[in-house]
Amino acid sequence: MISFGRAVGDWLDHRAGIRKVLQAVLYEPIPGGSRWRYVWGSTLVMAFMTQVITGIFLWMAYSPSTQTAWESVFYIQYEMYGGWLLRGIHHFMAQAMVVLLAFHFLQVVWDGAYRAPRELNFVLGLILMLIVLGLALTGYLLPWDQKGYWATSVGTNLASQAPLAGPDIKKLAIGGSAYGHLTLTRFFALHAGVLPGLLVVFLTLHVALFRRHGIHARIPHRGVDQTFWPDQVLKDSVAALAVLAVVLGLAIHFHGAELTAPADPANPYDAARPEWYFLFLFQFLKWFPGEMEVWGAFIIPGVIVLVLFLMPWIGRTRTGHLINIGILCVLLGGAAALTAQALRDDYYALWNTKDDVLPKNSPVITGRYEASERFLNAKVEARREAERVIELARSPERIPPTGALTLAYEDAYIQGPKLFQRNCAGCHNHVAKSKVTEKLQGTEGEKDALLRSAGLNEIDVVNPAPTAPNLAGLGSLPWARAILNAGKIADADHFGYKGSPFADGEMVGFVKDNLASLKAGGDLETAVEEIAHALAAEAALPQDSKLAQTEFFKNSAAKGRQYISGGLAGLVETGTSCVDCHKFHDKGDLGSAPDLTGYMSREWLMAFIRNPADKRFYGDNNDRMPAFAPHDDPKLNQLDDKSLGMIVDWLRGDWKRPEAKTSAEPPVIAGPIETH
Amino acid sequence: MKSPTNPSGPPVAIKRGNEPPPTRRSFVTAAAAVVTGTIAVLTPLGVGVAAFLSPLFRKSQSPKVQVALLDQVPDDGQPRVFPVIADREDAWTRYPAQRIGAVYLIRNKGEAKPTAFTAKCPHAGCFIGYSSGNKLFKCPCHTSTFKVDGTRLRGDGEVAPRGMDPLPVEIRQEAAKDGKQLASVWVEFIDFRTGIKERIPAT
Repeated sequence: MISFGRAVGDWLDHRAGIRKVLQAVLYEPIPGGSRWRYVWGSTLVMAFMTQVITGIFLWMAYSPSTQTAWESVFYIQYEMYGGWLLRGIHHFMAQAMVVLLAFHFLQVVWDGAYRAPRELNFVLGLILMLIVLGLALTGYLLPWDQKGYWATSVGTNLASQAPLAGPDIKKLAIGGSAYGHLTLTRFFALHAGVLPGLLVVFLTLHVALFRRHGIHARIPHRGVDQTFWPDQVLKDSVAALAVLAVVLGLAIHFHGAELTAPADPANPYDAARPEWYFLFLFQFLKWFPGEMEVWGAFIIPGVIVLVLFLMPWIGRTRTGHLINIGILCVLLGGAAALTAQALRDDYYALWNTKDDVLPKNSPVITGRYEASERFLNAKVEARREAERVIELARSPERIPPTGALTLAYEDAYIQGPKLFQRNCAGCHNHVAKSKVTEKLQGTEGEKDALLRSAGLNEIDVVNPAPTAPNLAGLGSLPWARAILNAGKIADADHFGYKGSPFADGEMVGFVKDNLASLKAGGDLETAVEEIAHALAAEAALPQDSKLAQTEFFKNSAAKGRQYISGGLAGLVETGTSCVDCHKFHDKGDLGSAPDLTGYMSREWLMAFIRNPADKRFYGDNNDRMPAFAPHDDPKLNQLDDKSLGMIVDWLRGDWKRPEAKTSAEPPVIAGPIETH
Repeated sequence: MKSPTNPSGPPVAIKRGNEPPPTRRSFVTAAAAVVTGTIAVLTPLGVGVAAFLSPLFRKSQSPKVQVALLDQVPDDGQPRVFPVIADREDAWTRYPAQRIGAVYLIRNKGEAKPTAFTAKCPHAGCFIGYSSGNKLFKCPCHTSTFKVDGTRLRGDGEVAPRGMDPLPVEIRQEAAKDGKQLASVWVEFIDFRTGIKERIPAT
């Protein structure tokens, strides 16, 4: 066997001269013996190889276009066997590479390993560093998710300010005047073709020159001279394995890499930030207002990079070398300080409370707090959207050919709060008071998923000074109870909002006169509860659906309907009942109060928002609420039917509930929990 | 001239210093080799580069879009945000009726026509938000702040190099199906270049 191996070796050596090559590769002398401090270069090569290998396998599943990029990354992350691990390794190894580069660079400067004759190799190393940063930058966009899209778009917008050909550079980089298919194809070609190709070329030159000059051995030598094989190879391999272990740990801990919601050009992501190692640049830019920005974005970074390139020449003397080390310390310290500052700005509202901040009366601090609040809210919203789109994409209906963005656009759960914010939140607020969330266990995402499957809308859209009712829990059983509760009907969440003409209107008067002191267990109290059941049955919200199937509820609602239709008159002092003002099915008339037939059902709410001043609703008593879609011609309406439907569905908690993989029963939440 | 060969091994190179002296013919040969080789390599590269540069020769146009009904913009000086819906083309895909941006419309007391600002920040293109509490426009990315009239709160102290970009507004009368006349607000949705003091449309 050994002789056969030797024969093959001889054959190859005769034709390709491999022995000489192997000799040269493996028996590189290391004066003073192998050392741990020489491992950085090799770990970088290993990291790059990992990126090539994982990158090629990712490539086999990735499809760069605006309808398929997010979708294919979703498929890799959530459906492919081991795909999440593959993506996780690629994601975290990229970050490890940046860290290793920093170590490698620091060591070379510290040891003065850039001095003649190694200047050229130092320059090659810096070029390699820029290529790696380019790979990081282009890779961030490829998943085409909100985070990558908006962070990169800020970056390319900056590029358009580059002196001379800025706008043209931007156009070439993104393949047109706006982000789209060609941005992805170009970034992908750069990321998987041009930049790795250049990296291989420069890495080859870098290693070749390194071999030509020999290792820059640290003086004094610690031990006897050795060769690269096997001692240093062992140390390099152990270090490479350690790096891989850290990367694997991170990939497993985070279960792959984050995938935020599909990129939506019409839906800005307020928490768009670059990768952490570019955060200092992001923060640095804030110091350069207006036209000064070209200094922050190009001139100063350009000068710094130039100084880095000149380090071998600056460091020719001992003083020069110390200057280089000084420059590095300043740069690293500055970058660390800027990164810390960026994080403090973003998470300020998490680490400080409003009560701490407001008394300081400083516009800077208040501004920082508000900006941080926006950042944190945007993060929560983005997480929720991402989880929802992924939930929909994983449902048996899958992603439509138009892409995952369609899932988001057609979904009341995602669009509801945005539409409410735009169209309703000028007057109304939507602040859930029951906070079922706080009673649930698990991560924020798991809690949201439970609420979603239960049809409970606890997504707050805050209007700090509302001039209309709080619409959270609209039409639910607790809502119906509150309307019939003397203590609640006229509170700020219901008819007692600021400037309400209804606060001392007939309905409030009726409830206060008749229902203020109910005898516990008395006929009237039972009747009120039954009326609430009847109203909840008219609304038929998904959150009450489990309850509505019970015999108890059906009987109770049937009795409630009797009371509404006139039966209540016999129990109250005023001797009146609901149908004296309201219409309810075939009893009562329209004209003085809203129709209770189908009260808060989808159809009822749609018609109401179309025109609240219609005879069926508030008629002449309507308080300021605009008619959002009174015309037959949709062009003339403020709200189109689709948006209207989504607002209503969102308010009612009536969004699509994927049947797939329901591991746990949704909690039945009815009865004891009060919304208001 | 035949090169010396070694029958059992690789060709033996002519040793340095033993090259034949340059002649007129050898110069022409060298020049021809360089020129033909260069053409062979550069032609595909040139074609590739030309295709790569094609985005520079495409010009985009600013669409005129109906963004609101005049009734939706009462003359109370309050900024209101409206989506800009238009067809969008992306290379080979045409997306009908997409949100391509957003505008703020503001109508001050007694004004017949609202002022329109694009919601795109003149600094780096983020979407500017409006906080009604302190009546200020704020960009979430680099915290540029603008007053209700679109000017920068701290002038040149802001990160944004200019105030918010106003868009040309037109009021058009539309006939509803029921014959009533309704005024609608149209804007020319210009995409301005970001990060510079001047307002230059990005084409």
